[in-house]
Amino acid sequence: MTLQEQIRSNRLRSTIVIFGFALLLGVVGGLIGVIFNLSLGIVALVGAGLYAIFAILSSRRMVAGMTRAQEIGPDDLKPLRRVVENVSIAAGLPVTPDVRIVDDPAPNAFAAGLRPQTSYLGVTTGLLRTMPKRELEAVLGHEVSHVRNRDTYLMTMATIFAGVIALIADIGFRMLIFGGGGRGRRGGGALIAILAVVGLILAPYAAMLLRMSLSRRREFLADAGSAEILNDPEAMALALRRLQADTTTIKYADAAVAHLWVESPTSRVESERGGVNFLSGLFDTHPPLDRRIAALEEAGGFRLPAELPADEPFATELGLT
Amino acid sequence: MLWLWILIGVVVLLLVVLVYGYNRLVRLRQEVNTGWANIDVQLQRRTDLIPNLVETVRGYAAHERETFDEVTRARTALQQAGTPAAAAVADAGLTAALGRLFAVAEAYPELKASKNFLELQEELTDTEDKISAARRYYNATVMALNTAIQSFPWLLVAGPFGFKAREFFSAEGDTAPPEVSFAA
Repeated sequence: MTLQEQIRSNRLRSTIVIFGFALLLGVVGGLIGVIFNLSLGIVALVGAGLYAIFAILSSRRMVAGMTRAQEIGPDDLKPLRRVVENVSIAAGLPVTPDVRIVDDPAPNAFAAGLRPQTSYLGVTTGLLRTMPKRELEAVLGHEVSHVRNRDTYLMTMATIFAGVIALIADIGFRMLIFGGGGRGRRGGGALIAILAVVGLILAPYAAMLLRMSLSRRREFLADAGSAEILNDPEAMALALRRLQADTTTIKYADAAVAHLWVESPTSRVESERGGVNFLSGLFDTHPPLDRRIAALEEAGGFRLPAELPADEPFATELGLT
Repeated sequence: MLWLWILIGVVVLLLVVLVYGYNRLVRLRQEVNTGWANIDVQLQRRTDLIPNLVETVRGYAAHERETFDEVTRARTALQQAGTPAAAAVADAGLTAALGRLFAVAEAYPELKASKNFLELQEELTDTEDKISAARRYYNATVMALNTAIQSFPWLLVAGPFGFKAREFFSAEGDTAPPEVSFAA
C-alpha cells in the first residue's frame, strides 16, 4: 500500500466513523424522544447539529485555546521553522504547517487543523529544551504524518461528535432527574424508559471508546510515518524513550484534546489512580510508549542503547534559555 | 449460454482492472511530477543564490578567479541538466564546487565576518537540506510508480498506455535504493 492509498483508506474510514457518530447521535436523540416526547428529541438533534457545525467552523481556534498554543512572529524561532519546513517537504505536504508554541515544561507536541493547508503544529517549550535536533525532527515528523494522513481531520471530527453526544446525553439525564420527565407514562412504557435511560448513560462511553480506538492505531502509523519521512526509525524511538524518561506532564492537560499530542498528556494522572488497570487501558488515547518503541525497533531492525545520547537540546540553537 | 455469461464476466473483470489500473497509474505519475516540482523549486532557489554569493566573495577575494569560474560552470551545468539523474550529478558537482569556495573563504577573515556572506552561507546550507528532503519524497514516489509499472497486473495497463518508469534523483550510478531489486 503506498502512502496515498493509505491516506485514501483513512478518508474512507473517516467517512464511516462520521456516519457511526451520526448514528449514535440519532440513537441518543431517539432515546430522548422515547423518554420525554418526540418533539424534544428532534429539538435536541437539531441543536446538536448546529452546535457541531459551529464547533467544526471554530475548531482551529478552540484547539489553540484548549492547548494554550500561541502563535509566533514571522521572524521568531527561524531554526525551528526551518526544521518544520524540511520535514514537511520530505513528507510531500503541499504547504508547511504553521508552528505554535505552548509554554509548558513538559515535552510534548501536537498537530491540529482540518486540512493540510490550514494545519498547524504545537510544540511545548519543554520539548525544545529536552530534545536534540535529531529527535525533535522525529517528533515533528510524527506530527506532520498526522497532518498528511488526515488524522487531524478525523480526530477533530471525532472530538466534536463525542462532545456533542456527551452534551445531549447529559442534558437528557439531568432533565430526567430534576424535571420529573416521563409525562405520566406508566405501565408498559416503564421498561422502555428504563432501557432508554441505560442507553443514555452508556452513549457517551460508546462515543469515547470510538474516539480512543481511532487514535491508538494512528499513533503507530504516525511513528512509522516519521521513521519513513526521515529515513531514521531510531530517532523516533530515541525521542519516545526520552519522553518516557521525562516525568513532567502538561499543566493544562485538557482531556478533550488528549489524543492530539504525541504522548498522552494525561496518562500518568490516569495510571496513578490505579486499581482499574484493565478498564483504564480501554480509555487510553495512546498505546504505551514501550510498545511503540518495540514496534519501531522491530521495523527498523535495531535495539536502542541503554543510555540516551547526551546531545545538546535544540533550545540552545534557538537561543532559548 | 453459460459460455456467454463467462465471457461477459471476463470482459467486465478486465474492464474493471483496466480502469482501476489506469487511474492508479495516472495518480502515481502525478505524484512523481509533484515530487519533481518540489525538487525543482529548491534547485532553482539554489542556482538563484549563487551569482550573489560569487559577487560577495569576489568583493573580498578578487584573485580567486579559478574557484569562481568553477562554481559558475557547475551552476550552468545544473541549469542545463535535462533529466533527474543528470540534475543530481550536476547538483553534486555544484555542492563540491561550493565546498571549495567556502574553503577558500576561510583564508579571508573579513569575508568570513561579513553579514551578507554569512546569510548567504546559511541560505545555501538550508537549500541543501531542503533538496535532500525533497529528494526523499521524490524517490519514494518514483519507487511506487516503478514498482506498480513492473508488477502484475498493472504492467498490462502500463505498456499500452505508455507509462514509463522514472529516474531516481540520485548522483550514484545505481539509481535504486539498495533494499529493493527490480528484477522485472
